[in-house]
Amino acid sequence: MIGILVRLGLAASLTISGAGHAYLYVHGYQHIPTIGIGFLVQASVSSAIALLILVGGPGWLRWAAASVAAGSLAAFALSRTVGLSGFSERGWDPPPYAAIIVGAEVLTVALWAGSLAVRRDLTPR
Amino acid sequence: MTDPNGMSRRQLLRHTAWFGAAVGFAVAGGEVISHVAGEAVAQRAHVRPTLRFAQVSDSHLGFTGAPNPDVAATFRHAIERVNNLGYTPDFVLHTGDLTHLSSPEQFDQAKQMMSELKTPHVFTVPGEHDSIDDAGQKYRNTFGADAVGDGWYSLDVAGVHLIALVNTLNLRKLGHLGVDQLEFVKKDVARLSSDTPIIVFSHIPLFAMYPRWGWGTDDATEALSHLRRFSSVTCLNGHVHQLFSKTEGNVAFYSGTTTAYPLPHPGDAPAPKPVTLPAGKLRDALGIREVSYTRGQTALALKERTLQ
Repeated sequence: MIGILVRLGLAASLTISGAGHAYLYVHGYQHIPTIGIGFLVQASVSSAIALLILVGGPGWLRWAAASVAAGSLAAFALSRTVGLSGFSERGWDPPPYAAIIVGAEVLTVALWAGSLAVRRDLTPR
Repeated sequence: MTDPNGMSRRQLLRHTAWFGAAVGFAVAGGEVISHVAGEAVAQRAHVRPTLRFAQVSDSHLGFTGAPNPDVAATFRHAIERVNNLGYTPDFVLHTGDLTHLSSPEQFDQAKQMMSELKTPHVFTVPGEHDSIDDAGQKYRNTFGADAVGDGWYSLDVAGVHLIALVNTLNLRKLGHLGVDQLEFVKKDVARLSSDTPIIVFSHIPLFAMYPRWGWGTDDATEALSHLRRFSSVTCLNGHVHQLFSKTEGNVAFYSGTTTAYPLPHPGDAPAPKPVTLPAGKLRDALGIREVSYTRGQTALALKERTLQ
């Protein structure tokens, strides 16, 4: 039961993150050098992994989901501090998308870490 | 056959299939998003943009050195690029450092070369290299006929309000606008409705791109505070010789590249000195920018073109 909930949660959070990046890509970010293509790749990879996790793909897809989400969070942090490929933004711009996307990515990483911890607890020693 | 420590051939095939599906769905998803984005662009393309213009910057005419042995040739190439965009831009902006040493000959050369631009208007702002020994007097004699104060001005083109700011005349460590210019901005925008698109151009960035190298303007916050109520504000600058973009609330900042020589990325060198690139790589680092605005959109569309 927990496994199904984690699967649904991962698929939902990845879908939200991917949809957010896709929306921003279509509405202006495509014109930003390098960052535009990054948004496109994030959106398409997140959506693909979300779909495959939803239909019951193997465990490594969860690692892939966590990697994509963690990578996106790192890119977000860089863009708010030292800049990323000549791009920087401030705070939670653009509202409300930045906050929603970051929330979804944090949830993805948390669900992956939680499922990993549960699995370790259930492993016979 | 099964390796007791590894996976069976069947498992390997299954994982390969999942991986293939992931790649396939990612590619398909990317295609769909690109298509949607393309449709959005095409829909906008059916409507002629309200405004189309080009930005060139930091031509540094008169510079000599290994980073670019012939800045006049690369500036000429940039002008040809603008003249071959496939349409006549409504105007061309030069965001400063037209010359390298502010000599009358260099200003003459800049004016003569820019007269070859096929556009109804050329707008300029001075860089610190254009005001080396006379607080910008020679610059204003050549390019400042329609300016007020010490070279700043504003105008309306196709419903868009343009503000040209001068932040290089009272350089401390950072760029500086000064009380008179801040007052000018305040009064200038007071009469405008909040849905008027605003384009501000200056030489030094109006955002803190890298203050340690002077890449920022110490009193820009006050100028920008007068623009907070507008829904579309775009600030274009030169000075940093590289592309950079930043968004702060309703304001989008875009640093443009140069037609002369590259500078290091922030913090990549002890000081922002001209960089000598390997043979054949220079023109990839130089370029021009196309900008278009379509009524109803808040964001301007930018297209960067190298001089390659």
